[in-house]
Amino acid sequence: MNSPTNPRHALVYLAAALVTVLTFPLIWLGGLVTTHDAGMAVPDWPGTFGYNLFLYPISAWVYGPFDLFVEHGHRLLASVVGLFAIVLCVIAYRNESRGWLVKVCFLFLGAIIAQGVLGGVRVLLDARTIAMIHGCSGPLVFALGSFIAMASSKRWRLASPKTGSNGLGRVAVMLLVVSIGQLFVGAHLRHSLPTWRPLFFMSLVHTHLLMATLILLAVLYIAVLVRNSANSDNRELRTPANALLVIVILQILLGFATWVANYATPWVELTPWLAKYTVQGKGFWESMIVTGHQATGSLLIVCSLWLACRAYRRVPVEQSAEHSLASLSNESESTARKSFRPESVSVGVE
Amino acid sequence: MFSKQIPPLNSFFLLLLALWASAFFSGCTPQEASFRPNELHVASLSQDSTDQQVSELAKTASNHVEELFGTPDSPKWPSEIADIVDMVKVKRSAGPVGRDKSKVEYGLFRKHCVQCHGTTGDGQGPAAALLAPYPRDFRRGSFKFKSTPIGKKPTHSDLVRTLEKGLPGTGMPAFGTLNHSVEFAEDIDALAHYVRYLSVRGEVERRVISAIVNQENAAEQAKIIASKVAESWAMADSFSVKPPRLITTWVPEDQTAAIERGKAIFLSELTACSKCHGKLGDGNGTSQDYDEWTKDWTIRAGIDPNKKAEWKPMKRFGALKPVLDSARNLTLGAFRGGETREDVYLRIVLGIEGSPMPAIARKENDNPGITEEGIRDLVEYVYSLSNPVTSGAAPSNEKGAEHEQSN
Ligand code: HEC
Ligand code: HEC
Ligand code: HEM
Repeated sequence: MNSPTNPRHALVYLAAALVTVLTFPLIWLGGLVTTHDAGMAVPDWPGTFGYNLFLYPISAWVYGPFDLFVEHGHRLLASVVGLFAIVLCVIAYRNESRGWLVKVCFLFLGAIIAQGVLGGVRVLLDARTIAMIHGCSGPLVFALGSFIAMASSKRWRLASPKTGSNGLGRVAVMLLVVSIGQLFVGAHLRHSLPTWRPLFFMSLVHTHLLMATLILLAVLYIAVLVRNSANSDNRELRTPANALLVIVILQILLGFATWVANYATPWVELTPWLAKYTVQGKGFWESMIVTGHQATGSLLIVCSLWLACRAYRRVPVEQSAEHSLASLSNESESTARKSFRPESVSVGVE
Repeated sequence: MFSKQIPPLNSFFLLLLALWASAFFSGCTPQEASFRPNELHVASLSQDSTDQQVSELAKTASNHVEELFGTPDSPKWPSEIADIVDMVKVKRSAGPVGRDKSKVEYGLFRKHCVQCHGTTGDGQGPAAALLAPYPRDFRRGSFKFKSTPIGKKPTHSDLVRTLEKGLPGTGMPAFGTLNHSVEFAEDIDALAHYVRYLSVRGEVERRVISAIVNQENAAEQAKIIASKVAESWAMADSFSVKPPRLITTWVPEDQTAAIERGKAIFLSELTACSKCHGKLGDGNGTSQDYDEWTKDWTIRAGIDPNKKAEWKPMKRFGALKPVLDSARNLTLGAFRGGETREDVYLRIVLGIEGSPMPAIARKENDNPGITEEGIRDLVEYVYSLSNPVTSGAAPSNEKGAEHEQSN
């Protein structure tokens, strides 16, 4: 039953992966709602302008104003994700042998529902503080979904808790915590209240920059650790570590682009381009950059969670080699890829 | 079992729970928005007052003004004064962001502007301290880029132009991008009305504060002041200057000659352009100064904006660090008041209100000054700094043709 290749487990994994993959666009759409300040574009909830959510005319939705399009779309996609979360729970309940994981699936469903209710309460009370909390917990629910996918993966079953000292695991957990903190600070920047004093906002921005530096340093440190030949058992952490590196660099670039797209810069006379740059109020590409920064922030959280999971649960080296030989086909984990040597690949091509 | 398997998980759940709980204890009910009393103005007019007195006086003035103009959520317009705003549009711009049951959008100002300009239009939105120049404080009633002389209000179309095109090189966005949505053309119009509303409200507040400081009867004065301020806006159109049509396709030799003459005027003592903008027009002049919004609470209140110890105490009333309003580097060509020669003409002829940039001295009767032709040459010179002409040969013609197209 608990064999790593049990197809019933693969089903749980598939369902969890599907929900997670669907949640990411939901994060984007939610981010667009914030970017376009569209939270109150539809004044009622759970209905839409008096219609049942699913019966609101498609033409009125698609051809209506953009903020209404985004807000209603966010609600629709959220209910789809909710439905898939129910499916996940059913599948997990029937197929998953680890009781705690089934519980986590139900917790995930509960979190999705709570998230939906929070969104509804935000509309009914027209409360921007709740919008911010909803915006913070969204990526956390996304992280929970991806955690279920990780825990139901084949690799997780092959692995066992790491024994002995685990410096890298600690850095990964720290990174996770700081990334979540960074999400909170970022959410304050995006959901700032008009009553906030400029100096308070300024200190938030400085905190955000400071934490971005911390995150960058942590990720660089991790990148060095996983390449360190003295810690050869860290090699299988390279995939998440590399992903983190790419994401952090992208995120920092997006962060600066977000600033320029929203506020231009105070140093405009440095270059003709900056001097002539005009902020585009609610421009399309600008809002994609800003929303992309928010969405990539949640990918960073998920990725550090991924690294932490791998760091705390190791696949014994021999076992992973054996296993990857046994089922090379649909193994997407780095343990499998590792057994290819670049030379052998190029030989094969020739 | 649970926590042994997955160490970060427990704290994760706790976090989710805490977030959820905090949603319900964080006072979720929306607060009634209010205009922020102008404490900085009170403090700069009455230096010896205690903080308590400042805040009380500011509150009193604010209350008088509220009687006339209402609150950010329910604005009103006194019937006794000139009818210069469309209250339907003002109401649509005011209030919290969102649509009503019939899909009409409200709260345009809080959606698009409040982050920088603040609910009160005091230029004290959350992001203000990180921008240079700071967002406009509408309450002074001064605007920089307009078709009317210094001291006069901008016209409605001046404000609309700023909103559509934005101000390059500042945080002020261009909102013309949303023009593809049918409704947004109306939104800009509505927002321009709201800027007027906020500006009148704020200027009345400032003058009521002066009246109180001068021991006048504020309640009586408020209405008189309000009608004076409204009248000044009503007059704006009559002061609007129409620029002449300027040459865009030049005969190369004529253009070079005009630029040479313009350069001489730029460097002359009479215009002093180069004192501020530098001999090369690159902004490296010797004379650098603060804008009027800063001078109001510094120099005019006996505070030296260069001395941190002197201006710092004003921070508690909302003052932001004084920043020089430096003369522009004209070689970069980011004209905030518009990029055509006609726009540059208006800036030179009218000056830039609130900034150190003066209106040019015109030659009239016996007054020394620059003639109309001289001004046109100067415009051509300033324009050429960022749109260089390659002298003589064919490329210059092409360049000229290109410009005409883009204009
Ligand atoms: C990202 C910040 C930002 C946003 C958002 C913003 N502004 Fe501005 N605005 C500025 C700055 C900065 C200036 C001052 C530019 C200068 O002094 O050259 C300014 C100046 C202005 C001016 C004065 C122009 C003049 O001629 O003096 C008006 C009017 C104005 N804004 C209206 C608005 C309105 C209406 C909105 C919302 C639709 C808005 N702004 C949104 C930053 C912003
Ligand atoms: C006392 C200093 C001073 C003098 C004298 C002065 N300027 Fe300026 N000028 C400024 C400042 C400051 C600004 C920037 C204003 C702002 O945007 O706040 C400016 C801006 C400009 C601009 C940019 C307008 C726009 O649309 O963005 C032009 C063009 C210009 N000046 C031309 C001239 C010319 C031509 C003269 C001589 C007739 C001149 N200036 C004299 C200080 C000066
Ligand atoms: C590793 C680095 C970073 C991470 C993980 C990160 C994360 C985030 C997240 C998650 C948000 C959105 C929060 C939400 O909407 O709920 C955000 C907002 C923001 N971030 Fe970052 N950020 C990083 C670096 C930067 C940098 C370098 C800048 C540069 C100035 C920046 C500027 C901003 C701004 C301006 C916002 C608000 C956007 C808005 O107003 O809509 N960030 N950040």
